[in-house]
Amino acid sequence: MVGITKRFPGVVANDDVTFEAAEGEVHALLGENGAGKTTLSNILTGLYRQDEGEIELYGEQVRFHSPRDALDAGICMVHQHFRLVEPFSVAENVVLGDHRGAARRFVFHSSAIEKRVEELSTRYGLAVDPKARVWQLSVGEQQRVEILKALYREARILIMDEPTAVLTPQEAEALFGTLRAMAGEGKTVIFISHKLHEVKAVADRVTVLRGGRTVATVDAEPATLRSLAALMVGREIDVARPLEQPRRLADVRTLEVDGLTVAGDRGEIAVKDVSFAIREGEIVGVAGVAGNGQRELAEAVSGMRDIRAGSVRIAGRRLRGGDPREAIRAGVGHVPEDRLGTGLAPSLSVTSNVVIKTYRRRSFSRGPLLALRRMREAAVGIIRRYDVKTPGPGTPVRNLSGGNLQKLVLGREFEDDPLVLVVAQPTRGLDVGAIETVHSYLRDAATRGVAILLMSEDLDEILALADRILVVYEGEIVGELHAGAASIEEIGLLMAGGGSE
Amino acid sequence: MNDTLLVVVLADAVLYGTPLLFASLGELLAERSGVLNLGVEGMMLFGAVVGFWTTQRVEGASALVLVLAILASGLAGAAMAAIHAFLTITLRANQIVSGLALTIFAGGLGLSAYVGTELGFSPDTPAKQQFGSLDVSALADLPVLGPIVFDQSALVYASWIATLLVGLYLGRTRFGLNVRAVGEAPASADAMGINVTLYRYVHVLIGGGFAGVAGACYSLSISPGWIAGDTLIGGAGWIAIALVIFAFWRAELCLVGAYLFGALSALPFALQARDVEVAPELLYAIPYVMTIIVLVIASTGLSKRRLGAPAALGIPYVREER
Amino acid sequence: MKLERRLEQPWWLSVAVPLGSLVVAFGMMAVILAATGHDPVETYREILDAAFTGNGAFSATFISATPILFTGLAAAAAFRMQLFNIGAEGQLYLGAVGASWIALLLGDRGATSTPLYVVAMCVAAGLAGALWALIPGVLKAFARTNEIITSLMLNYVAGLLLTYLIFDSSSYWRDTSTLQARAFPQGKPMPEASNWPTFGSEVVVPLGFVIGLATALALWVLYTRMRFGFEVAVIADSPRAARYAGMRTRRKILSVMAVSGAIAGLGGASQIGDFTYTLDGSTTGLQAAAFGYTGIVVAALARYNPLAVCLVAVLIGGLQNAGYTLQGPDFPSGLVGVMQGIILFCALGGELLLRYRLRIRRRSSAHGGSGPAVEPAR
Repeated sequence: MVGITKRFPGVVANDDVTFEAAEGEVHALLGENGAGKTTLSNILTGLYRQDEGEIELYGEQVRFHSPRDALDAGICMVHQHFRLVEPFSVAENVVLGDHRGAARRFVFHSSAIEKRVEELSTRYGLAVDPKARVWQLSVGEQQRVEILKALYREARILIMDEPTAVLTPQEAEALFGTLRAMAGEGKTVIFISHKLHEVKAVADRVTVLRGGRTVATVDAEPATLRSLAALMVGREIDVARPLEQPRRLADVRTLEVDGLTVAGDRGEIAVKDVSFAIREGEIVGVAGVAGNGQRELAEAVSGMRDIRAGSVRIAGRRLRGGDPREAIRAGVGHVPEDRLGTGLAPSLSVTSNVVIKTYRRRSFSRGPLLALRRMREAAVGIIRRYDVKTPGPGTPVRNLSGGNLQKLVLGREFEDDPLVLVVAQPTRGLDVGAIETVHSYLRDAATRGVAILLMSEDLDEILALADRILVVYEGEIVGELHAGAASIEEIGLLMAGGGSE
Repeated sequence: MNDTLLVVVLADAVLYGTPLLFASLGELLAERSGVLNLGVEGMMLFGAVVGFWTTQRVEGASALVLVLAILASGLAGAAMAAIHAFLTITLRANQIVSGLALTIFAGGLGLSAYVGTELGFSPDTPAKQQFGSLDVSALADLPVLGPIVFDQSALVYASWIATLLVGLYLGRTRFGLNVRAVGEAPASADAMGINVTLYRYVHVLIGGGFAGVAGACYSLSISPGWIAGDTLIGGAGWIAIALVIFAFWRAELCLVGAYLFGALSALPFALQARDVEVAPELLYAIPYVMTIIVLVIASTGLSKRRLGAPAALGIPYVREER
Repeated sequence: MKLERRLEQPWWLSVAVPLGSLVVAFGMMAVILAATGHDPVETYREILDAAFTGNGAFSATFISATPILFTGLAAAAAFRMQLFNIGAEGQLYLGAVGASWIALLLGDRGATSTPLYVVAMCVAAGLAGALWALIPGVLKAFARTNEIITSLMLNYVAGLLLTYLIFDSSSYWRDTSTLQARAFPQGKPMPEASNWPTFGSEVVVPLGFVIGLATALALWVLYTRMRFGFEVAVIADSPRAARYAGMRTRRKILSVMAVSGAIAGLGGASQIGDFTYTLDGSTTGLQAAAFGYTGIVVAALARYNPLAVCLVAVLIGGLQNAGYTLQGPDFPSGLVGVMQGIILFCALGGELLLRYRLRIRRRSSAHGGSGPAVEPAR
């Protein structure tokens, strides 16, 4: 890919990027969130069209007008957010849109396809039931379906976009093995990630992107974590985890969860008899692979989900459950995983979103009438204090970048002086600068006495922030560790269900 | 035996249910691709007018004229659907308002009436050709089954074939799989190389074609002739839309639902013919009230997600959105 | 050529686009007229004359505009929260039933009690309309049933109710006083004092229209300056965010449907008090007028802004009025529906320009600037 440039309204995602990968290698695309890696790969797979630049495949120039062209050329991508059709079976998903071979026939014969899927899955070690419906599968299994799609199509180039976000450390290792095997067969694997140690573990060569531009292409062997980090961020950062003294905490229990049982979307029990407590000023991190009940737990504590059994107490006061307003009044702040869809109303202004929970207070409304000016002032205050970059308080929040959205949400929650803060995936998709800012806000809040329940799929983040770590697996807490004593291997084992003996 | 209330009602149920069946099958196809088309009532009326016009103007053998009329009405419906398709797929307009606009545009106070008067139809003109029952010799005299199954018009038999074809198409063919993917997860379908726009256009147009044919069922079979205004169809288009939900988006259930409502529509007339003393309005209201009841039941049942609507129904698909 | 989402909307665009789409619509209509052998310029002149400039035209336009002002407001009130209340038609009928009931109940009280009648009729009509709208409202809020179909089905039921009350029963509303009335069913005449006053002499403005204007203003305040409207805006944009923020979504669905139904009901009261002075159960009268559906057209054109609805209602009312007046061999029936449809189509198409901008780029290879971004003339 030579001289690729891609612009979106308000931002240049790729600026004159040049990138090449060879047959039979695992080539990593390294860069922090927002550096332009996903955009580049979307261009390569035909989802986007570049504004400038050329793509050459096996020596010949190609032009992709649609994803089909790229697929026909043998390029397959496993996206961060899977492109699966949930009600369909695994076999149906694998064969979707394919117009060669068994699916070519007008009438659809599922048995032949299922057999081929089984062949491929055994050959590459990707165990999955071809007849199962995708919505029934775990996230890790769904990822395997995505890979099977590529293998079924005999892809020559496979792109993996941040694949380990949804895997335990052990599953990630297995994935690396699969990828190296595929490269060994002559395929080209492009591995997109922002995680340094993974890139070093699996790749042959690394291309670093920063701010939409190519910074360097290096061999993985001789590179060090430090050198890669420097290239990625443009300055020296401390890669080692800062060793923190365990903090002295008050003995007041702000959040008490006792025997909590919560049902999931499909009626199954997502949280089973969970009990823990968080003290004033303590940060408790919940580690676990996505889909093991963290989301339901966060929703139960913040009132967005009913409590089937057990109790949630805030400063001693028991919540009825299932009522966000009750939780808000009790002093629970919530920074949801889905920033723009749940935590904010995307088309509404910054001001409206700032007061979205508090508009009924006397400070913002006189009886049924809104005090628009005071709302605006509050918004301006938060914009300033939390460094939210926006053209103004009247801007629709969907125009803001991920980092600024998160600062806005955090600012709004903090301003309400919560006793407990439930935070889910706070730094997903944010660049390093924003991540540092968010972390510092969270630490400040803890210092001020807020009890923080932190859900994160990023183990590094949990290890950096938490005082105590709870590991969830299949809705239960399978381990509790103090941050200083925790090791990634141990946590990874617990996350995958291997309880400590 | 064949004169009993039950048999008569069931036979009429098939007759009245056939346009509902065609229309709901068409809407089913459109909705499976993710596009909600509320303009069914308008498309049906327009199809009715055009079909009727064809029989009035074209001379020739009865069968030939009727086939042409059906084709014409199908094309008419598709033409109307094309407007909706363009607005909602290419211009990404709100599908609900667009469908309503289509109903107003093409409906009894709009294009259908315009065309009707332009072509000089006076109210209550009888049709020159119409679909009568196909006389399948002695079979029509069989007890019970006779009048219900064998004494029907070609349109009815065509509707059975259509149901079968649509069901097989969606469930067993590669294209059916693709269109279902388009309706459930257009982003995934797109990433797999399926042309979302094309599939949506095609299915909306075909849906319109079915609706046009459904309209012709009225003007050429049930109440042959032209009646100005929208009393010709009286809300059947909307019932057809409800039927798709009732049928959990499956073709075979559309048939069941269509005949159920056909029976409800036929009941008032049958009861009146037997001098039953009930206010007619009460009876006429039954199909509408039943639609509501059926919808409520279906909606509460739908909370078990897997039986539900195509997930992307009603949402325009944009590829290059950030 | 490609479409890019706009980051912000210049204010003048919100006026220019609807206006522009209107112009385009009239243009397209002219083409259709010409193609079917009618002179478009002549037709438009006749419409203008019959709607606004002719003798008594404007007064007739107000008669047409008043009911659709109410149904337009009703639609706007609901559609703004993505609640597609198609049932304004039926809610208007129920309002008429309620208003005529209380007027008959109050009996003959002499001319000075007209204000009493007006208030009573409005209250009764508003309640009746609100209750009728709460049926689909409750079903939506608690059973998640699609409100489009339920409210629509109830339109047909309401129409049948009207017919039943006058034609097939000996109901309170039916006039059974004379032999002729018994043979040719009709509704009881309302007491004279319950007839609503009008304003002006050259151009006659019915009280209903004035009430409608007041309702529009109240609705505007409710939706832009009050907590009610704030919640509506959040729920419309993102029901999940609304729930997250602790808003009571179900209660809001009920109250918005009730408001919408009540406003439509007021339209029914206006029909009785301003125009018909009796309950009209025939299928060729009230039921053929399609006030409810026309109201949706009005609301969509006005982009659900209550103040704009007032203006658009007069415009569309003029069109409707012209349609009735001019109907005949020269003036095709169905023209009104066609025009409304085309106007709505153009308005929907115009919406696109509000949300997206058009970028024309010259395809370029390697480096070198891309072509200048060109925006359409709007």
